[in-house]
Amino acid sequence: MIEILSVLGPASIQDLGRFGQYRFGVGTSGAMDDIALRAGNMLLANDENAAGIEIPMTPFKVRFACDTAFALTGADVGADIGGRAILPWWRSRARAGDVLSLKAMIRGARSYLTVYGGIDVPVVLGSRSTQLRGELGGLHGRSLQPGDILPCASLEAPSCFDELGAEPADVALARPTAPAGDSVVRAVIAGEYDKYGGAAQDLFWRAEWKVTPQSNRYGYRLQGPAVMPISPIEKRSHGIVPGVIQIPPNGQPIIQMRDAQTSGGYPKIATVIEADLWRIAQTGLGGKLRFENTSYADALAAQSEVSAYLDRLRANVRRFGEFRKCR
Amino acid sequence: MTTPNRPRISLLGTTAILFEAPGTFDLPHQRRIWALAATASKWPGIREAIPGITNLMLTFETPPHAVDSLVSALIDGWDDAQEFAIEGREIELPVIYGGEIGSSLQTVADHSGLSVDDVVSIHAAPRYTVFALGSHPGYCYLGGMDPRIAIPRRQTPLQRADGGSVSIGGSQTGVSASPGPSGWHAIGHTTWTFFDPSWPTPAALAPGDTIRFKVGRVIR
Amino acid sequence: MPIDTTDIERLAQILERSGVASIEIEEEALSLRLVMEAGEPTAPSPAYAVQIRPSNEGPIVAKADVAGIFIAAHPWRAKPFVEPGQAIEAGAIVGLVKIGLLYVPVLSPAAGIVDAIVAEAGATVGYGTPIVNVRTAA
Repeated sequence: MIEILSVLGPASIQDLGRFGQYRFGVGTSGAMDDIALRAGNMLLANDENAAGIEIPMTPFKVRFACDTAFALTGADVGADIGGRAILPWWRSRARAGDVLSLKAMIRGARSYLTVYGGIDVPVVLGSRSTQLRGELGGLHGRSLQPGDILPCASLEAPSCFDELGAEPADVALARPTAPAGDSVVRAVIAGEYDKYGGAAQDLFWRAEWKVTPQSNRYGYRLQGPAVMPISPIEKRSHGIVPGVIQIPPNGQPIIQMRDAQTSGGYPKIATVIEADLWRIAQTGLGGKLRFENTSYADALAAQSEVSAYLDRLRANVRRFGEFRKCR
Repeated sequence: MTTPNRPRISLLGTTAILFEAPGTFDLPHQRRIWALAATASKWPGIREAIPGITNLMLTFETPPHAVDSLVSALIDGWDDAQEFAIEGREIELPVIYGGEIGSSLQTVADHSGLSVDDVVSIHAAPRYTVFALGSHPGYCYLGGMDPRIAIPRRQTPLQRADGGSVSIGGSQTGVSASPGPSGWHAIGHTTWTFFDPSWPTPAALAPGDTIRFKVGRVIR
Repeated sequence: MPIDTTDIERLAQILERSGVASIEIEEEALSLRLVMEAGEPTAPSPAYAVQIRPSNEGPIVAKADVAGIFIAAHPWRAKPFVEPGQAIEAGAIVGLVKIGLLYVPVLSPAAGIVDAIVAEAGATVGYGTPIVNVRTAA
């Protein structure tokens, strides 16, 4: 069991997402940085889809009610447990009564706390992910509050599970960054791209987009030059997915994220590739983003690169466990 | 806005593909979309076939290496699609027009050049068909709204519109099942429950069902 | 079991007979180095130089316990884990061994002051490779 001691902002329980429910208007939800969640679960030999806690703001504190193993992946949060510092992308042990403290968002924007066996909340429509809008999944369909007690699936982590780290995704999947360390995310042009003239398209690709404070799990609202179409566009409502970049009439793009509506009618200029959604998740409020025009084929290649990293990490953990004669 | 006379097919990254049917926003076209959805949902690599308003989104279980064959399949599928007339249920929904939640009722009246009472009676007159579900859990997109009360979506979407709000966006109308962001103009509200994950089918309504709005009150 | 002078004599004889030039023994509280010196073949007993250093006054060595690449600093941190002169506790992480995508921590076996980082960052290390020398507070 884990008790939430202090929390700031909308921390929530997420697994890899809720799929196959779009026809009811139910989107995927799930970890905004799915790679970090998977990595944490891999380090713990959990099912990769085991539910963990997504923490978008610090400080954040929990108390472990029993001896267990846990992992912290995603952002670097200056964590410590019982006064002992925990490195990022790291597995460690907790003893009953230990308090794990996430102090500051040093690098990145979302941290993932996974525990041995996963957080045991009910499965709703096939997933443990929280959907705030529909008030479903997670813990009573809402974000976490101090005093919440989270049940964990298993009590005993193998005693041979000791300190172990993983190479962070942004090291293994490093890409050239734009000037001033802006995050660069790749996007494939979408249906209304050609309704924007050359000048507007250039503006979209070349601009440094600022992530406004109105950015969250529903969508990232960006601030920058106004990107206007040749003439006003009014679309019939159609399905959209996380990554779709809509531009409402005010010319300021919105990247639809994991809790976005499942359909909409604003024009879409491009869609961020699935392989780069985690990079957006790790860009915080006030951070800067740039888009890179990418073909479908290159987007598939990027997806393969992510899969290769995850496959390799999975295999490494398994082999290391065998080497140590540990699960 | 001109309607193209050929389908438009576009990618949503590597996650989905969008098929937009040519033709008017009406029930015969939507019935053909339902037929195409039924066919496409069985294609390999497709996770779901989700109808929108005279359009269809296919989400990928695994993205195809070559999109061309999928594009051809969609075009052929559309050509072959016969109107799939779903026999749905008929629902009556009591609505309170205007007031705090229906705060854009006057905006719609101003835009259309009609009185608030006219907007209400025009909105409540038709028997609407549920064309599609989407946007958020249980939300229904309705077909059959009178174009006289159409109004373009908001310049800047609202961060939060109330649950149960009855609103207009473009030439479409719908009812929100829960609070959340919206680019539409709210003209009223209802207290009906549209979604419950504990139900065998979590959404109360499905494509093919019909709705009639019953005017409970008009708050000016 | 502590080594005494009788043992040392016996060890020296074994060394001489087997033609081994030196032997190093490390025990928990003792470190012993025995080196055969060149002497006359007809001498009745071998000459040897003995260095006995009680280990609790000497260097503790944090060693790698897996094979991989030694990493002196976490990629997300500017500073290395430890620097010479730094006081550390028993069990403190003094470096990492990278195996594929995994980082295995190298821990200090005792509390003390870091003497030197003897492994080179980026070098391949194996089981038992010394990583960091630690001087215990005497």
